This record gives sequence, C-alpha cells and structure tokens, in this order.
Amino acid sequence: MSVTKMVYPLYQLGNPQLRIFRPSWFLTLVRPGKEQPPDTVQFRIPMDMTKYDVKNYLEKIYNVPVGVVRTRIQFGSNKKRNHLNQRVKKPDYKVAYVQLAQSQTFTFPDIFPEKDRTLKEGSMEEMQEKFMEDEKQRQKSDPRRGGVTEWFGL
Amino acid sequence: MAARIRLPLLLPRSFPPLRSLKHVHTEAVKEPQYPPIVASLTAKSKSARLRQNEERIKLISSSPVEEKLSLITRIQRMKFVVYPQTFSRNPDRWYQHFTKTAYIPGLPEKFNPTTEGSQLATDQPAVPEIDDAAFSEIRDLVTRVILHEHWHKMRKRQPFLYKHQEQVVGPFLKTLVSELTYNLAKYNPLLRLSSLDFSPQVNFYWRRGKRIIPKGHRRGRQEPIRFQIDDHPHSQIRIPQQLPQFAPLEASYTAEVPEIHLAPNVMPLFRRQYDNNIFTGAKLPDPACYGHTQFHLVPDRYHRDRLARQQHSDQVEPFLRANAAASLFAWTGAQAMYQGFWDYQDVSRPFVSQAVITDGHFFSFFCYQLNTLALSVETDANNPRKNLLWGTESLRLYEGVQDGAVVGLDDCVLRLLVQFLMNRPHS
Repeated sequence: MSVTKMVYPLYQLGNPQLRIFRPSWFLTLVRPGKEQPPDTVQFRIPMDMTKYDVKNYLEKIYNVPVGVVRTRIQFGSNKKRNHLNQRVKKPDYKVAYVQLAQSQTFTFPDIFPEKDRTLKEGSMEEMQEKFMEDEKQRQKSDPRRGGVTEWFGL
Repeated sequence: MAARIRLPLLLPRSFPPLRSLKHVHTEAVKEPQYPPIVASLTAKSKSARLRQNEERIKLISSSPVEEKLSLITRIQRMKFVVYPQTFSRNPDRWYQHFTKTAYIPGLPEKFNPTTEGSQLATDQPAVPEIDDAAFSEIRDLVTRVILHEHWHKMRKRQPFLYKHQEQVVGPFLKTLVSELTYNLAKYNPLLRLSSLDFSPQVNFYWRRGKRIIPKGHRRGRQEPIRFQIDDHPHSQIRIPQQLPQFAPLEASYTAEVPEIHLAPNVMPLFRRQYDNNIFTGAKLPDPACYGHTQFHLVPDRYHRDRLARQQHSDQVEPFLRANAAASLFAWTGAQAMYQGFWDYQDVSRPFVSQAVITDGHFFSFFCYQLNTLALSVETDANNPRKNLLWGTESLRLYEGVQDGAVVGLDDCVLRLLVQFLMNRPHS
C-alpha cells in the first residue's frame, strides 16, 4: 500500500496495530554542524515524521539499533530579498538526532577527500603549470623593495 | 684663567672638609616608602578585571561562612540544571566529568569481608558489633516490614499509572529506614544523635570548564560553565560528627576521570537561570551538619521493567551510577561549603557519605568521598585530586511474597545495609 500523504486512521482500543508499507518518507544523513557525541547521527527528515516514526523506520528497514531520537524544526529564513525586493523564504526542515544503542558509534565520512595534485612528468599540464608559475614570478616586484611601488626611484 | 677669578680678599685658612657633608643628608631624611604598584581596579582593561577577581576572592575567603555562601551564590546567570535521575543515555560518564569523580566498582575494603579471614568468617559474626541473635532480630524486622507493606496492607485499588513506586515502595522504604535506624541505635550511639529527614532538599551550585560565548554583545569572551543540582532524595540521615575517610587523599591521584570535550547541552542538558542554592538538608546553624546515608527511590519512569520493555536494559546501571554520583557530590559538596571550603579554599580533609538506591526489590550501595572542591578552570589546572565513587551492581533483597511469607531474603544484602548504617567514626 503506497501512501502519498499520511492520514493516520483514528485508533480505538481493540483496533489492529497501524502498519505502514512502503512509506514515502526519505531520510537524509547530514554532517553535524556542531560537534556531536560519537553515538549520535544527524538526519534531515520530512516534517510529518515523528520521533517514533524515525525509530521504527531505522529499526525495521535498516536494522539499525536505535536508542533514543530527538527532533527539532529548523526555521528557514524569510529575510533575504530578491531583485524585486520580495522576501524569499528558505524552506523549513526537521532535524533528528538519533543516539545509537548497543554502544555503537558513527562518524560522518569524508566525502570529498583532498587529491594529490602531482602531474605526470613531461605532460602538457605540467609544462603549462611551470609556464604559469614563471609568468607569475616575472610579474612580481622585487621583494627587497618591501612593497614600495616602482613609480618612485631612479 | 687665573686673572679672571675673583677671590675674596680674606681667604679662610682651611676649607671646610667636604667628606662629612655626605652623611648629613641621609640621617635627617629617610627613604620614602612608595605603595605597591598594582593594576588599577576601575580601568577598562584585562589587568583591572584580574585585579577585581583577586579582590573578590580575597573578600570571600576572609568572610564568615554565611556571608561566603551568599557572596558565591549572589549573581544569577544561565546555568545547566543537572538532574540526578535523568533520561539521557550513558549519563554516568557525563556526570563523572562534571563532578570530577572516578568510579571504582565494588565497595571499599571496610565493607568487603577480607579473603584472609575467610576461614574465620563462618565463626565470626556477620557484622563486627552485631552477633547472630541481633542479626536474626534485624532479619525478622525486615520480613515484618515487607509483609506489612505487600501482604497485610489492604489496598482498595491498584495504584494508577506511574504511581506504584510513589505509593507502594515509598512508604515501605520509609518504614524500613526508620525501623532499622531505631533498632540499630542501641549498637551505634551515633544514630541516637542523628537526624532522619524525609523527602529533604539538597542543592549545590558549582562551576567547571569554560566556553567561548558564540553570539551576543559578549561574543568571543570566556565564560565559566555553571551547574546546579536540585535533588530530592527519599530520606537521609545527618550526623553531628564526620565519617572517617575510605581512602587517603593521595590514593585519588591515580584514579581516572572520563574526559569529555563536547558541550554539555549535547547530552541533552538544559540551561535555566534562577536562584543559586547550596543546601545540605538543614540550615547552617544545625549541629547535624555532616552526612551519613541517603536513600533514593527509583521512579516508575526509570524502573528496570519499563526499560526492559523498551530494550534499554543496559541503561539501568549507568542510571543508578549517575544518580549516586550527582546526589552524593551535591550532598558532600554542600557539607564542605557549610564548613567554609570553596573553589579557592580546597577541602583539607575528605568528606564522606553513603547512599542506597532502590526500587523496592533491587538495592545498590554507593560510597562517595569528596577530595576536592576546586573544579573551576583556574583552580583545577594543577589539582591532582579527584573525587571517588565506590558502587555495587543492583542486588536483589527478596524474591517475592507468597502466602504470607517472604521468599528468598538475601542475607548479604541485609548485611551490607546494616554495615552501612553501623558506619561511624572510630572513637
């Protein structure tokens, strides 16, 4: 049963447990802005998800042992103005801080590692780099002048 | 040139000797005494700020205890409110970091029977001053109390949601504590002079660590992190003399305290601003100013059955340890401040207290020794002392009540309880 907008049926004592198959919620794992303890993972979640939804989602679909979940709603600013002086709203979003159980830890991985820029010997790029460096050196003024321009002097 | 000098007509025979002129000046006038050159007190500079702090420290150190407490707790600012019974995960490491406490599993040697005397243990009585007859009396007393609460007492209706601990275990613990204290008073004369409080208030305020203010008109400046504990134990025993220390001060130098470099609000811990209180359970002039034992009740929300249903059984022991660390640190710290010690005047002798945390069936015993109150950044820089917390795992006192009899009453737990209450200074 695919759901587009969650409408929870009213629960009365004796009703079967609410079951959601193939939810249309998608979580985004983000790098925390402020430093978090090693067992805390930070997600951006849809606004209609609750703490218990997040817990069940991670436990049932991804088999992640979840200890406790705390959520908050981040207000997106409405202050910026466009070229027509109209206020532009940045969308609000909900953030969930998930603390893992069974003393598991998680660190956000480095997605963009620094690459070593060593160029191949004798290639076009290397010769171009060298040429550009020589040009820059030629443009620079004499360091012994201490920043004084060359208008003055002999 | 000789011709230009005008000499007087009559030259004196001998000129006055110049040597004696040297001493005339120094005998008549003394060296001027200048006042010491110190930084200004009112200038808008860092050195003036430092001098203001020094003057404040001197003022506080030299005032009597009441004024000292009011000067330390005068200014209200945003502070972290530390709840001893907390829902956070793994709070014991955080609380140990805030209070500079090292946890040592097991109890001090005083309460453990020595392995060398294991052969004699069967001949010797369970507790030194109490012989077998007295111990069996105490056992009967405890069974009577358990049966009174869980068997004989008529309950019209079962306690409602989350009221079980408060309405059933609370009165049971109250009767148990008062009956035991009264009975053991004939063996422990200190208990006759003690004061047993029910639902007292224990508050403590301290500063630890620094943070840089991120936003506002004071942005970029250093600010100490302030904490406040407002604890409500179930009951406590206060005594007029201090308990002896469990371990010498120097033994704490090698203990390990967990270091956490994250801000406390990540724990989660919340900040508020209100009155800074330091209170042991009685006001300052009370003669019973030292602490003996505190009894804590585990609320329904943190009961082990509920945590087991939520698959958080591994959080039971950290919760108890954090509760003991926070409550006992607050109590011993308040006792020390009542004696005039504070951040810049560290304790000269260790302050010792005990605690029993229970949820009706399971009892955990904790001993705390406060070795240092100097927790702020300036005083903690070269402070090797650490506070120590000894503690047991939860031990079951009795299995249950069946057909008017208590099943499975554990003697070891009872012995520990009696030893705790019998603890007194060597006279």
